[in-house]
Amino acid sequence: MIANLPYILSQLVQPFNLILMIVGTAVGIIFGAIPGLSGTLAVMLFMPLTYSMDAGTAVIFLIALWIGGCSGAFIGSVLLGIPGSASAVSTCWDGYPMSQQGKSGKALAIGMVASFTGTFFSAIIAALLSETIADIAFLMGPWEYFSLCFVAITMVLAISKGNMFKGLVSACIGLLFASVGFSPIDAEPRFVFDNMYLMSGLGMTVVLIGVFSVSSIVTSYGKGFGALPEVDNKSVRGIGITLGEIKEQLVNIIRSFLIGLGIGFLPGMGSGLSNLVAYSSAKNASKDPDSFGKGNPGGIWAPEVANNASIGGAMIPMAALGIPGDSTTALLIGALTIHGLEMGPMVFKNSGHIVYLMFATVAVVACIILVMQALGMRLFPQILKVPYHYMYPALLIISMVSAYVDAGSLYKCGMMLVFAVVGIFMAYGGIPTAPLILAFILGPTLESNMLKAFQYTGTVTTFFTRPISCVMMVIGIGCVFSPIIRTLIGKRKGSSS
Amino acid sequence: MNIKRDRVTGALLVLVGIVVFVMTSRLRVPFSMSYPGPKALPMIAAFGFVVCGAGIFLEGVKKQEADKPFLSREGWLRMALAMAVLAAYVFVSSLIGYLITTPFAAYALTTLFAKGSGSTLKGRIIYSVLLSVIIYVIYIYVFGLSLPSGSLF
Repeated sequence: MIANLPYILSQLVQPFNLILMIVGTAVGIIFGAIPGLSGTLAVMLFMPLTYSMDAGTAVIFLIALWIGGCSGAFIGSVLLGIPGSASAVSTCWDGYPMSQQGKSGKALAIGMVASFTGTFFSAIIAALLSETIADIAFLMGPWEYFSLCFVAITMVLAISKGNMFKGLVSACIGLLFASVGFSPIDAEPRFVFDNMYLMSGLGMTVVLIGVFSVSSIVTSYGKGFGALPEVDNKSVRGIGITLGEIKEQLVNIIRSFLIGLGIGFLPGMGSGLSNLVAYSSAKNASKDPDSFGKGNPGGIWAPEVANNASIGGAMIPMAALGIPGDSTTALLIGALTIHGLEMGPMVFKNSGHIVYLMFATVAVVACIILVMQALGMRLFPQILKVPYHYMYPALLIISMVSAYVDAGSLYKCGMMLVFAVVGIFMAYGGIPTAPLILAFILGPTLESNMLKAFQYTGTVTTFFTRPISCVMMVIGIGCVFSPIIRTLIGKRKGSSS
Repeated sequence: MNIKRDRVTGALLVLVGIVVFVMTSRLRVPFSMSYPGPKALPMIAAFGFVVCGAGIFLEGVKKQEADKPFLSREGWLRMALAMAVLAAYVFVSSLIGYLITTPFAAYALTTLFAKGSGSTLKGRIIYSVLLSVIIYVIYIYVFGLSLPSGSLF
């Protein structure tokens, strides 16, 4: 780790990289703050911009977008009562009431410091732990990798809202999209229809921008944008937070941090879940649980520390195993592959300097965000006042340009529109999108490891005779059947009472 | 007539599952229990489409309450119009390139999205031109990437 310090410093102090870091952070915060947009979308849209960059610069830019998006999500929650993304859902419950009591400045300050605490310290822990976990990962074979991918996809299903069938269908759409092109190992063409654009697969940018970005903007337009939200930023004055108040929340902060780190580490889980768990833990542990939901500072500290601590948590399996902790890290794995960085245990041997640059960038960006948000506390609420008719056309044009840059062909832009129709169909049917991202990105890894495992032993039983693989498979199968299990448990409890 | 969205979604998914299954079964490398080969992944997807599609359809049949409409008729029209503008943007870009097409596409989208918001014509024109130029400068001069130049030039 220390040996990589000169490289990390040389990258971080380069003027172009510094500018990209600041711009990426600001863009990420804007995407995070506006409800309906997210840091994930920012990474998706601007990923093709990095194709002409060297790996280090690309990592810095993408990480800045991601972390900015994670940290900006609380602004919408506090000022509008509408979360910028799923990671800040529970921040609304106390952030917005506090804001309505005329304490917007304090609520924003808590969100700011909590975000910094979660991101900064989780990045340090990720940097310290990842290589050790990667060493353990050398003991894993294709069975374990297959079962880890399987768990990553099924865990998202288990927490996806709505019914289980819809979550599963979303994962199946992802697997189908991942099947297009030549199959691994056998090189059999699948669903290519003699079309040269399909031979190498569908392409992450085209699929994801079509399904998520274009479809959601067009659907929002179909539904009608409505009036711009009223933002009260008159009460945003000063930081309004003291060291004593932080000390008061220390136990809550540490507990939420550990929850965020742990949930972020689990494959397929992330900040969307950790903020909810941390909030309910804070409420349950509080001496005054009734004050939660009415502007209790603990109700902002808990979700904001947890959702940002999930960043470091998610980076550990991403770097050490090549398994994403959440949908954004899944995207980052795909983006880094384009730059020749194959995440997994070997990455520390082959490109350790880039991995440590990634962790360092997270920590530096956390500091930049803290400064930016402190200085721009009165400015950031203005983000929420950008008219839809200026913001959405810009996003659509950038989507088109990104699809073109991805393959250097307008054919891919046309394909993106087809995927936008798929996205609209998914929205129509109430099918969640997170399982699609994970299944689409993990599909090739899942398939190649499954086929390798069968080549070695020729039987499915090996997946259950190897301990780690067996545990993962049982968890994965349990996740698939979790709604049925929950219903059965509920019925049994009902009959016994 | 109240069309239950789950029924439509479920039926369509079952249909997609059957099509994927038929197409997958035509792959040359055979499926076996000792080596599932390239058929495995799409077969899993096809199986999932059929089973889950049937499940979603049946839930739609069981559901008593009426669905809230996804979009109004005008909403569907608005969405189709926006998609048509995007499709036209792609097509015209292939002929005359990014720099000429984008201001018009941006203007068309801004005007569509601005309906009833009280934005001015001048504002929308200035915004569309500026947006196109800024994106062009960033992609071409800052990052050295290429944008569509058009087959007619």
